[in-house]
Amino acid sequence: MHINYWQEIRNNSLGRIGMIILVLVAGTALLAPVLAPDDPFTQTPDSLESPSAQHPLGTNDVGQDILSRLLYGARTSLATALVVAILATMLSLAAGASAGLIGGLYEKMMMRLVDAFLVIPPMLVVIIAAAYIQPGMIHLVLLLSLLGWPAGARIIRAQTLALKEKLHVRASRTFGAGPLYILKRHIIPDLGPVLTANLIRGARRAVFMEAGLSFLGITDPMTVSWGKMLYHALKYVYLDVWQWWLLPVGIALSLTVMSFTLIGYSLEEAMDPRLRREKHA
Amino acid sequence: MFRLRDSANYLAAFLIILAVNFFLPRLMPGDPLTAIYGEEALVHMTPDAQEELIQRFALDRSLGEQFLEYCSALLRGDLGYSYYFNDTVSAVVFRAVPWTLLLVGTAILISALAGSIAGMESGWRRGKRTDRALLAGIMFLEGFPDFFIGMIMLIVFGVVLKVLPLAGAMTPYAGYTGLALVQDILRHLILPASSLALVNLGGTFLLARNTMVSILGESYIFTARAKGLRERVVSYRHAGRNSLFPVITHIGIQFGRMVTGALFIETVFSYPGLGLLIQKGLQARDYPLLQGVFLVVTVTVLVTNLFVEVLYKKIDPRLRPCISTTGRKLETTV
Amino acid sequence: MDRRLFLKKGKFMFLMLLFLATMGAAGLITTGCGEKQAGVSKKPADTINGKPGIIPVYTIADPSGDWGYPSPYTHYRRGPGYIRMSLIFDTLVWKDEKGLIPGLAAKWGYNPEENSYTFELNKNVKWHDGQKFSAKDIAFTFTYIKEHPYDLVDCSRVSGVEVIDDYRVKIYLKEKYAPFLNNIAGALPILPEHIWKAVANPQEFTGPEAVVGTGPYRLLDYSREHGTYLYEANREYYLGQPRVLKLRFVKIGNEMSPAALERGEVNFAQIPPEMNDRLSGELEVIKTRYDWVLKLMFNHRKEPLSTKEIRHALALAIDREGLVNNAKRGYALAGSPGLLSPDSRWYNQGVEKYSCNPEKAAELLTAQGYRLENGYYTKNGQELALEMLITPEFEREGQFIRQQLEKTGIRVNLKSLESKTLDALVSDWKFDLALSGNGSIGGDAEILNKIVLGQTFISARYDANKELTGLLGKQLTVLDPGEREVIVRRIQELLAGELPFLPLYYPDWYYAHDGKVKFYNTPNGISYGIPLLLNKAAFIM
Repeated sequence: MHINYWQEIRNNSLGRIGMIILVLVAGTALLAPVLAPDDPFTQTPDSLESPSAQHPLGTNDVGQDILSRLLYGARTSLATALVVAILATMLSLAAGASAGLIGGLYEKMMMRLVDAFLVIPPMLVVIIAAAYIQPGMIHLVLLLSLLGWPAGARIIRAQTLALKEKLHVRASRTFGAGPLYILKRHIIPDLGPVLTANLIRGARRAVFMEAGLSFLGITDPMTVSWGKMLYHALKYVYLDVWQWWLLPVGIALSLTVMSFTLIGYSLEEAMDPRLRREKHA
Repeated sequence: MFRLRDSANYLAAFLIILAVNFFLPRLMPGDPLTAIYGEEALVHMTPDAQEELIQRFALDRSLGEQFLEYCSALLRGDLGYSYYFNDTVSAVVFRAVPWTLLLVGTAILISALAGSIAGMESGWRRGKRTDRALLAGIMFLEGFPDFFIGMIMLIVFGVVLKVLPLAGAMTPYAGYTGLALVQDILRHLILPASSLALVNLGGTFLLARNTMVSILGESYIFTARAKGLRERVVSYRHAGRNSLFPVITHIGIQFGRMVTGALFIETVFSYPGLGLLIQKGLQARDYPLLQGVFLVVTVTVLVTNLFVEVLYKKIDPRLRPCISTTGRKLETTV
Repeated sequence: MDRRLFLKKGKFMFLMLLFLATMGAAGLITTGCGEKQAGVSKKPADTINGKPGIIPVYTIADPSGDWGYPSPYTHYRRGPGYIRMSLIFDTLVWKDEKGLIPGLAAKWGYNPEENSYTFELNKNVKWHDGQKFSAKDIAFTFTYIKEHPYDLVDCSRVSGVEVIDDYRVKIYLKEKYAPFLNNIAGALPILPEHIWKAVANPQEFTGPEAVVGTGPYRLLDYSREHGTYLYEANREYYLGQPRVLKLRFVKIGNEMSPAALERGEVNFAQIPPEMNDRLSGELEVIKTRYDWVLKLMFNHRKEPLSTKEIRHALALAIDREGLVNNAKRGYALAGSPGLLSPDSRWYNQGVEKYSCNPEKAAELLTAQGYRLENGYYTKNGQELALEMLITPEFEREGQFIRQQLEKTGIRVNLKSLESKTLDALVSDWKFDLALSGNGSIGGDAEILNKIVLGQTFISARYDANKELTGLLGKQLTVLDPGEREVIVRRIQELLAGELPFLPLYYPDWYYAHDGKVKFYNTPNGISYGIPLLLNKAAFIM
């Protein structure tokens, strides 16, 4: 039985909301150069101004337009999220599918490793590693990807095992197809929804972690990102500026994360027949 | 027998953590002593002291021997020396641990209680407006980074409304004793603990909600109604009972995330726990301190998870195959 | 079946609650113990409450909190650490808002024929443990400091100490040293011989005996975790009774300090400059004298910045006023190329200012053989491209300077580094430009020697100008203040001409307090030159 997952997400009200938010955020990120009223990098002497027609969200401590930075920040956050999600999912796929297909001792070892990784809080590892490496954007993305794969690997393995026993896969095996061929032709296409769910989880985590690390001040100071904006805004909470500097960034961040959560949630509902029944009951 | 099998995961995780701690500084370019201790510490050290450190870490010997030396130091409870605090890392860390545990423990309690109640309420009214509002609200909250919620709470309750303390874990030198002291500590605990609980409501909320939804379709509700009990009371009782297991398992799983969250919350509220130590360590580049905190926190998380898992299985062996974070599967076994 | 399960669940719930309760209790118990210790040593502070001018408790906020155990060898080597120690330990002389005042010494004088100072000591001084203080303690301290150097006071110029009698002591100097009273007699904490003679390793001496001094305050409690200090007035203080009976230092971040002041939780705190206008109605706000400077370091040992004219061109291309308005929102003063600020009594306002002038910068570059090509100055096919090292803290400043230099036609690559790494690279001359700051420019003019000739990373390490090097050496040995001033002015002129670094700005620092204690800026800074307001003399009636 194949389910049309897009249809499911669109029919699910939560999923629909999630998609709308995500499309909006992605849209503003893409159109940032058009939408932004100002250049987000130019420093001007008009610092810490209240919202006005010229600066709808006021200006920050070095006179940069906050709205413009918010829009450009969406680019960094989403780009980080996207790259981390793809890299982490690729790792998950490599580990999970190979374990499922090869089996034996390899599978046992791999799953042991996955289980072990799962009980270590990833944020702590990132902090301690970042303290030594002092990562730029690229290092940060790599670091986050390296720590994000185990959860997905486990689910992908389970799915691979299930798919392996399906009729068409077994048929192709009897016809002498190698594991790589099976992976490419049968497993990956059928893993679609699992991979999507995994991508979304990865993206969600990346947005979160980037913000957290920026808050601790261990990321590259040159980038414009939401985490960095929060980090700078926090130094001026004694003024009223937090209302139009701190709050909008936090809300944008939360909305983005929430859109990921909602989409992921509706995907899970679509994949779990029992949850589906409840929804339609 | 199962304990051995299961703790193997944790043992492996522990080894990974040890490896991270051991290899990270040694893989950095440059002199490992500088990497382990940071430059500032070495400036203040005499050549003799440096020589002693090289001996102590066996830095002039092979990597294997260094690792053995490292492990034996750990077994002795020696986590190294923090030059920033001018004290052993273990002493510094263990002074901070109680505060973090207090914060995390309170937050877990709040989030479990508030999450279950809101979840049951939401489930009871599933599909209605309250349900949707609660669901959306809690998901929105979950999207905030912990420190952001903390900061907003601090601004609102501390700066604008001026009702709760701005920083710290207690009023210094206020001379409180007994009940007044407990009260003072609680007052300082409210904001950080509830901030931490707020961002972590989601899991418990969904569990309780799902349990409630499924119970509403069960036959014993009708039986109970026939017995003359009020439907709502019965449902709450059943939902509460049935979601207890998954909620507790969930707490075990969430513990790691809570502790990590606490590290950020502590920075916002200058709460004197491990998070503040991490911040200090990052600022001062006090690597032994960072490593010590890392080790202690991760090991605590591992032990807690193991504890919950073992406890869980011991109490109800039938549940062994279906440890799950959704209340649903549990409910089907009843 | 249902019942059995239920029972199990009950047991489980019990275990779980037990677990949570234990965790909670563990927290409460440990903290309870800590507080009890502080509680025991506390005494009610209201015995002379009614007396006017007496303040029972005074609370001071500090963003970092912990500045080390307030004993000379264990406090952190920064101003705030010294201040916390200075409440307990006295020096021979001290300073108030007007200048030198007696400390342990009631009178002092210079003997030019033998290059020594004679100090007549106060006779009614007791250590906090009741022992009598005498000249022997002075002699002991100078001997001890030779063996165990105290980083903040350099006693290498002291050749010997002679005890004349119990209350008279003579200190001999190897060479003439103008800043002696400010930098040594007014800065070296005097140690009790009867305690410290047995201390072989002062860095690890942290018992209650390590905080026995003669000063106006005694330490009651110090908590490193909470970043707090509690002091109690020494009512037998020989210079008068302290007005504040209990002095508390608590940890509160600068962002939260305005709220804490408004709520009356603290009496004194540093505030962000924006809060100056908002708080100055209800509280007294004091701006401290300029003491800290942010410098643009030039690598004058490497092409092209080894050429003086190129350094001048860079200085002309950077609008320091604009930098202040932009990166500091106006809360700073543009730097003087002679290093010292207008707040310093040695300031020379006649030095070359290098006011922003891109045309003149362009002329200088052209004269050095550079041609503008594709918007950038080029010489022999090579672009004038410089790498500028910054720390995350000065990211805003770095961006601004880069904008300015690029506009003129000088390519700049910003590289953000953690501060220790930056210091190390500057120290090894592996840089073109770097942003680096230093304090103490409000203290004695000896700072010029440290910043120009010293061998550390904060120093330019510049000795190419013989006259400058010579005058720097000479200024320390000229005891006549007027004559010394002339030399120091000339030094600033030469420094501005050579320009081994460009002082960018002096930041504004504001402190707010409730006016119960009258604080002031101390001339040349507290003790050896600390630009803070917490002078212990302000607490004495």
